[in-house]
Amino acid sequence: MKQFDFFAGKQMSGKQVSRRQLLAGTAALGSVFAAAGLTGCGGTASAASVRDIAFWHLLSGGDGIKMQAMISAANGANPGFKVHPTVLAWGPPYYTKLAMASAGGRPPELAIMHASRVPGYAPGGLIDPWDMSLLAEHGVTAESFAPRIWDKSQHDGQVFSIALDSHPFVMFYNTDVAGKAGVLGANGQLQEASSPQDFLAMAREMQKVTQAHGLSFGYLGSGSQMWRLFYTLYKQHGADMELTPGQPMKADRDAAVESLEFMASLFDDTVAAKSGDIGTGIAEFARGGSGMLFSGVWELPTFKKAELPVDAATIPTLYGTPASYADSHSFVLPRQLNVDDGKRRDVYKFVSDILKGSLSWAEAGHIPAYQPIVQSQAYRDLTPQIHYANAADIIAYDPEAWFSGSGSDWQTYFAENVQNVLLGRDKAADGWDAFVRRTNTLLSRPNPV
Amino acid sequence: MSSLATSESAEQAPSLPGRSSRNPSQTNQPGKSPTSTAQSSPRRSRDNLNGWGFAAPFLAFFLVFLVWPLLYGLYMSLTGKSLTGANDSLIGLANYAEALADADMWHSLGNTLYFTVISTVPLVLVALVMAALVNVGLPAQWLWRLSYFAPYLLASTVVSLFFSWMYNPQLGLINDSLAKIGLPKVAWLNDPNVAMWAIVIATLWWTVGFNFLLYLAAMQNIPAQHYEAASLDGAGAWRQFFSITLPQLTPTTVMIVLLQILASLKIFDQVYQMTAGGPSGSTRPVVEYIFETGFTGYRLGYSAAISYIFFGLIVAVSVMQFFITRRRSA
Amino acid sequence: MATQTLTRPALSSTSAAKLRQPRKKMTAGRAAVLAVAAILAVLWLVPFAWATATAFKSEADAAAPKISWIPPSGFTADAFVKVFQDGNIPLWTWNSLYTSAAITVITLAISALVAYALSRIDFRGKKVLMTVIIASIMIPPPVLIIPLFYQMVALHMIDTSWAIILPQVIHPAMVFVLKKFFDQIPRELEEAAVMDGASRMRIFTQIILPLSRPILAAVAIFVFISAWNNFLWPFISTNDGSILTLPVGLQTIKSAYGIQYAQNMASALLAALPLILVFLFFQRQIIKGVATTGLAGT
Repeated sequence: MKQFDFFAGKQMSGKQVSRRQLLAGTAALGSVFAAAGLTGCGGTASAASVRDIAFWHLLSGGDGIKMQAMISAANGANPGFKVHPTVLAWGPPYYTKLAMASAGGRPPELAIMHASRVPGYAPGGLIDPWDMSLLAEHGVTAESFAPRIWDKSQHDGQVFSIALDSHPFVMFYNTDVAGKAGVLGANGQLQEASSPQDFLAMAREMQKVTQAHGLSFGYLGSGSQMWRLFYTLYKQHGADMELTPGQPMKADRDAAVESLEFMASLFDDTVAAKSGDIGTGIAEFARGGSGMLFSGVWELPTFKKAELPVDAATIPTLYGTPASYADSHSFVLPRQLNVDDGKRRDVYKFVSDILKGSLSWAEAGHIPAYQPIVQSQAYRDLTPQIHYANAADIIAYDPEAWFSGSGSDWQTYFAENVQNVLLGRDKAADGWDAFVRRTNTLLSRPNPV
Repeated sequence: MSSLATSESAEQAPSLPGRSSRNPSQTNQPGKSPTSTAQSSPRRSRDNLNGWGFAAPFLAFFLVFLVWPLLYGLYMSLTGKSLTGANDSLIGLANYAEALADADMWHSLGNTLYFTVISTVPLVLVALVMAALVNVGLPAQWLWRLSYFAPYLLASTVVSLFFSWMYNPQLGLINDSLAKIGLPKVAWLNDPNVAMWAIVIATLWWTVGFNFLLYLAAMQNIPAQHYEAASLDGAGAWRQFFSITLPQLTPTTVMIVLLQILASLKIFDQVYQMTAGGPSGSTRPVVEYIFETGFTGYRLGYSAAISYIFFGLIVAVSVMQFFITRRRSA
Repeated sequence: MATQTLTRPALSSTSAAKLRQPRKKMTAGRAAVLAVAAILAVLWLVPFAWATATAFKSEADAAAPKISWIPPSGFTADAFVKVFQDGNIPLWTWNSLYTSAAITVITLAISALVAYALSRIDFRGKKVLMTVIIASIMIPPPVLIIPLFYQMVALHMIDTSWAIILPQVIHPAMVFVLKKFFDQIPRELEEAAVMDGASRMRIFTQIILPLSRPILAAVAIFVFISAWNNFLWPFISTNDGSILTLPVGLQTIKSAYGIQYAQNMASALLAALPLILVFLFFQRQIIKGVATTGLAGT
């Protein structure tokens, strides 16, 4: 408090002095703040020469445990750095925080992002492009990835994301149930269904075995889940979807309506339960209450743990064109105010280590993006993973826009307009048209990226 | 002006500054600008310097971290500013026009108002009951204060963790207790018709202690003579409460209600933490909508516009309150 | 008006006597009052108790479909051990502590200075300043998050303690509370010092401040508690795990631990502990402080 004595009449002998004292006072006040700031750094500064790498991801449950093991392995192999993961909740909480951190300039050195979300981040400068020559030093090149996945990592001629995997939406089936229903082929795998009628007939056969349902698919309250199946079926029509800001959405209305009508026809309490959320569907399948389940590949460990006789395949091609909704967990470099070159190099090393160790990621159900792993005998020996590995060639990512992608609000809007269609309360055409209107509103708004 | 202030530095006999300003000897001092005394006294200008000097540190923070963002936010609301830095241009009132036609914004504003109404009533009434009970002179005063007030000391996240766990549909203590007394289980945070009430219950538990303390302090300030006189007249406890305590508490009640309304309008933490605005937007308050449009949706300009619409609402409520309280005190 | 009524208990020494009510005999009415008060108290303590019971269970017992207060396989402190091992709770506690302390110190200093000027010094523009400060009480912090975030980005302060601290030191209501208190200090006490030619600053630090200890404590308590528990602004302005405050860090724990209920509750209890402990020791001061400053607005 003493520094404020400049107000003291007695000590003031001239204008200059008082001003100087004023400055001194301000400086003293500043040093108080500086001290506060120093203590702030005290907690985070590391003593050793090991570089701390902050890494954000949104993988929880089994995926999270696998990722933690992969991180620990990489940390063990690289004494020069230590990767510290931060896990945030999947969906909007994660992507919101990642964008805020990047805008703020002190984001983590490395983050996981769904490839479908990159168009919302790359053009706005929230993430940096990868330097492929640096990755090449560790043996990772364009040839290390399947073409569709590699294409997805590009934006304006630069590489913005390095895919760890592709995780398609697939069909799990219970081989016991399928066998009893007589729908297994000679190779012990499920027979091909090539039309909606085929599929429904197969499901009804299985229902006779389980006495509950033929198929499990929980979707209530989850736009992501509804979208995954819808977009798979839609793309099987050979249809495209384009989202260009300032223009109405371009989509094949007939294909969309037909896909929705088929989905709604599933929920008749024979083929599949009328309603239920994702968890309910998984639980039903896991206890043998149905023969099939539409789900992301990441649920595989759940069924292995339940010792269910489970096999898997891509979703049957019901409309002529093989297609499978998928996304990729990809590594991105959030834009930083001050890039630490040492840490950047560590990040490249870390990412290449994780890619090379992604066989264990395949155990969690995902299809590794790194081709040397996919072509290895060890991966070929993984069942049922190998039975849907072909998905990597037919995967369909979300149509690109700043608002689309996994866990985006756009998927929530899909749920808001389509859930009642699936519950049999609305006509498919009406639900679809409402969703198109909602999307067009988004497209008409200024593009914030 | 500042040269006048320095006149104080002259070695003078101790005297009241107010008088010294009128001291004619001052004008005889050398090095003094003769014109400066014409306008204001040294005391006056030194007071100006001192006054603004004392105010300066606060004022600096006030201007930089309150006034500036307030004005800049207004400017932002007229632009298409984005989190990524794109679209910086002025777009006039387009954001406001869009907001007024945005059903989601109205829904979230409605949720905020709904929460304010259904939370304020129990938060005031339960606090009053608690204070009245404790004020009767129960033994172990500290125990009651501790139990009722302690939750107020918790961070919102702690409260949300506690209640999310107790509201758990299968494993939660509340549904388990309901089942034990033969009542049906409730999907507390997952049922659009119930979720807001679940938030209100958690909020009541969390913050009622604050209002309770204010009431208790006010009750204990009511002079004992009032009660003694009433006792002599043979008035019972109930009558004393309604004829003395409540009327005496009226100003406190008015203030508590007003503060509670303003506090409830700002609802965000518990909702974001427990339901994230769900199920299907049924609990999403306007502050969360501001957060989501601005940060999840990148549209800072648009969410600034919604902020100002919300601000307008708060100002309207405050002004309304101002007139109500003025009429009351008049 | 409100502040006037409430500064009284803190000021007058007689209020303590008033707080003590004469002991009364136990009658049926009083028994009923006691019963209702006790039921409410139990209801208010249940969430603490249930969280504590859960935190001392094994994860398996905590998630067991049959709910019981006493776990079948006995109580264990495993969850706490786990939280300490791989959690950031100690770091976040420290972050909360020093940011809240800095906010409290700066708030007290700048608010007391301006309050003194408003109370005692006749300077040009004082009325305007007073009006502006009082009017600013009405500005709800959520309205400012968007521009403040943008400002912090521009100042490169996002994910630093600065971002947490600086915008939180403006408490116009506390200025008002302090000014009201200063107004009640008799001016005669200053006269002698003025006669001695003491500066305003000396009068302020050596006469006013010592006389104002109770109100300074009350304001400090109020500011500290609100800074310690603030969620919205620290949540907006920080993302990095090492800089988070306790309430914000706790929010990330939920997603990291997922359905590990015992660890969730152990974390929550650890986060709640510091202020509860402080409260147990300084109950009187805290209650007085909150009652004094409370009505001035939050």
